Amino acid sequence: MSNFDLMVVGGGPGGYVAAIRAAQLGFKTALVEKSDLGGVCLNWGCIPTKALLRGADMAQSLKHAAHFGFDIGTPTLDLAKLVGHSRNTAKRLSQGIEFLMKKHNITVLAGEARLVDTFTLEINNGTECSRYKADHIILATGAHARDLPDIHVDGDKIWGAREAMTPTKLPQRLLVIGAGAIGVEFASLYNDLGSQVTLIEAASRIVPVEDQEVSTQLEKSFRQRGIAVHTATTVQAIQLSDDEVTATLTDHSGNHTQAFDRVIVAVGISGNIEQLGLETLGVHTQRGFISTDEFSKTNVVGLYAIGDVSGPPWLAHKASHEAVICVEKIAGLGAVKPLQKNRVPGCTYCRPQIASVGLTEKAARDNGLDVRIGRFNLSGNGKALAIDEASGFVKTVFDAHSGELLGAHMIGAEVTEQIQGFCIAQQLEATEQELAHTIFPHPTLSESMHESVLDSLNIAIHH
Amino acid sequence: MCPALIVLSTLSETYWGLNMSVITAINMPKWGMEMSEGVISVWHLNIGDPVIEGADLLDVETSKIINTITASHAGNLRAITANPGDTLNVGALLGVIASNDVSEEDIQVFIASRSNDTSNHATESAAQELAPVARQDAEAKPLAPSSPTLTAASTPTTSLGSLALGEDDSSVGATVVARRLAKDYGVNLNNLNGTGRHNRVTKADLEQAVLAAGGQLIGQSDSAERPRPAADDSQVKATAVARRLAKDLKVNLLDCRASGDRGRVCKADVEAQAARQQTPVPSTTGQSHIEPPAELQTEIIAMSGMRKTIARRLQESKQTAPHFRVNTDVCIDNLLATRKLINASNRQAKVSVNDFIVKACASALQKIPSMNIQFDGENITRFQHADISVAVAIDEGLITPIVKASETKGLVALSNEIRDLATRAKIGRLSAEEFQGGTFCVSNLGMFGVKSFDAIINPPQAAILAVGTGEPCAVVRNGELTVATMMSLSLSSDHRVIDGALAAEFMSCLKGLLEQPATILG
Repeated sequence: MSNFDLMVVGGGPGGYVAAIRAAQLGFKTALVEKSDLGGVCLNWGCIPTKALLRGADMAQSLKHAAHFGFDIGTPTLDLAKLVGHSRNTAKRLSQGIEFLMKKHNITVLAGEARLVDTFTLEINNGTECSRYKADHIILATGAHARDLPDIHVDGDKIWGAREAMTPTKLPQRLLVIGAGAIGVEFASLYNDLGSQVTLIEAASRIVPVEDQEVSTQLEKSFRQRGIAVHTATTVQAIQLSDDEVTATLTDHSGNHTQAFDRVIVAVGISGNIEQLGLETLGVHTQRGFISTDEFSKTNVVGLYAIGDVSGPPWLAHKASHEAVICVEKIAGLGAVKPLQKNRVPGCTYCRPQIASVGLTEKAARDNGLDVRIGRFNLSGNGKALAIDEASGFVKTVFDAHSGELLGAHMIGAEVTEQIQGFCIAQQLEATEQELAHTIFPHPTLSESMHESVLDSLNIAIHH
Repeated sequence: MCPALIVLSTLSETYWGLNMSVITAINMPKWGMEMSEGVISVWHLNIGDPVIEGADLLDVETSKIINTITASHAGNLRAITANPGDTLNVGALLGVIASNDVSEEDIQVFIASRSNDTSNHATESAAQELAPVARQDAEAKPLAPSSPTLTAASTPTTSLGSLALGEDDSSVGATVVARRLAKDYGVNLNNLNGTGRHNRVTKADLEQAVLAAGGQLIGQSDSAERPRPAADDSQVKATAVARRLAKDLKVNLLDCRASGDRGRVCKADVEAQAARQQTPVPSTTGQSHIEPPAELQTEIIAMSGMRKTIARRLQESKQTAPHFRVNTDVCIDNLLATRKLINASNRQAKVSVNDFIVKACASALQKIPSMNIQFDGENITRFQHADISVAVAIDEGLITPIVKASETKGLVALSNEIRDLATRAKIGRLSAEEFQGGTFCVSNLGMFGVKSFDAIINPPQAAILAVGTGEPCAVVRNGELTVATMMSLSLSSDHRVIDGALAAEFMSCLKGLLEQPATILG
């Protein structure tokens, strides 16, 4: 006999959303979490980094104050306060999730969950193990940072994201390994706070998943800010001494050694699939993630996986969306459609910000699509000039025949708050015509979105 | 007087026409093939209450279950023509929804026309539904209440009715918004000329056509959709606090006791009524929490609709059907071994003992078709397929979703179907045809450790199998004492249509299938 209709393992943005949606639909629901509700996103990812980056923005504004006529001398940073703000924000939100669980009558079980049989979880809360049965089990266990073969996060001089989010002292010389979203956010943060940052990336360009032009623009901005950017570069070895770290970096010209105070490792993530009992049930996995169908079903009856643990893109909003789809499918709601991965937007909160959705120009062309490209530089946008944030652009990729918005790529101030306009257009299958006929308010940064669309039709006004 | 467009249909449908307001009929629905009539259980709204689309209007009880009719259109509940306890045929008028600008006279004319409408049944032709009839002239004389049908009224030369006709329009190019609106207006997209990109039909094209056909645009007629008090309570004597609180809590003072000084309704009376209406009392008022009197040690629990149905149906069954029982014990060691094999070899399977029992019953019902029947007191209906009801306990009571044609399904498919039915039963998402009917029922309490029990037949079915738990027992086999896993089965049959020998034959067949599960395949 089942204890619950539905159990969710993991209380992050995939898991807690699945639990709430299930409770709304009338399922007797339980959520298992081994640490804090909210998962990495809320406790050690999206949210606390945004709190820190707000400090970085402020540092930048203060540096820039003279441009607007303010003479404020040299401001100083109390790092503990900034980190404190970040931790408090995470704590507040985690308590908010706790409240939501109570509100929806969801049983929260603290401990580590392990599948012992189909429909059966064993939960170890440190002192005892209890078994629970549920008709449906959703795994939303998330992912963890990947290590490099010879470089291990030690929490002292070599940091993972957690340590990088809770510094007690600002490192003077910082090496960031990996220029994906997490790497460039930390590079940007520490540069703004005053560290001397070196960013290395094994691929030929930074933020390699973004459109080529976005990578080029970000690298240019980073270099202007004094960040040393090395692409097509790997770390050969790391040597720890009492007061510094010596890294051997390899690029096309050979090996170079350089000394740093701290190193941040941000080279990607892998799914939390260990200790879950997946082998017991013969759950299929692929390259460290659980294999699922389009409605998040695994190969085992009654078992589902959503969010990071079921594969890329590793984004909180993808996890939440999958959660709702998965639960509604279980409940037999009509008209449930699978998530379309090319409609999941991605946002990176470095300075300037990056936001994108859909195909890059190259990916579209590689798919054999006939594309029509629109571009607009923020230097032609009045609002961007007024706030002195005129570097960046909006690039749009349309299918030349159907007019479908295949992709949009933005870099510049506040682009993360604007990309949803393009997401809605994609979801409604709007063409460049509908977007061209949409009235964008003046003066806003979003006018650049409009101009980019107009440019794809060769009718941009402020080009 | 506003002219009103009147609609006939089996359920509630609304059409929009020439400068008109709309009257939407609430009709007795047809839930499932067997439903011919329904009993009004309770109305959730009073006359005059605003109705939002999708709102619960009333509960109707059928021979199977109590279900709620929801509003297909917004407006105000203008009339209730059937009261709790009334039994009405499918298609009969239960009430009227219209906006407040439709005159009372029009409503009454409409009701009168329906009460004379002899074809007030589910058999009304589709053509009639598709051809709404309207009075063109605002000053036209109201229809005589004796008009045999509304088709006697003059029809506009162009009406939305003509726009409604046409073949399947799913391949007509149209914007998403236009397609959704066309559905709301009941317009077939084949009748429109698209002026959008690639000649797609746009919202503007649709609205133009609706206006050209003399229709009115949705959302522009009922600006006066304000709540109207059910009954004027301004003359009721009440304290000032009680009067204001009543307004906040949407309590009518006429509904309250008057326990205050000089026969006035006081605050406590309003709160008590609010609690009865299940309107939460705002916590900001602090002391307004209502404590039950200390001496009360009991609680009166209202019967839910489902509880009432269960109570009535099972009492009727037990009183009318002469139950008799046949019991047998089954050795399930082979079954457990087979189950283990299947579950170990197929990750998409978690077949339960109960799944085997349902599958074995399906086979037995095929072998002994005299058991695969329904009985309505007059006739015995014998079925080709074994549609097996599986009892599922849910918070409010129990429900019996049906595995249709279970003899045609493989064990794993059957197992996963039962799980899906049980999941949706628990969250109340079964459709009527998924739990109404069935030719046999399986009720299993084995998971509670119950040794054996007797079940009550679920009419119009004629038999039900009660399944107990499987447990190791000492048995004598070939004169030797040995241990086997035994499970008790008890079959309750309706002796009016099933005799002892037949029940025994069925149980013997079932026992054979369960003890040698490979034979289920044959």
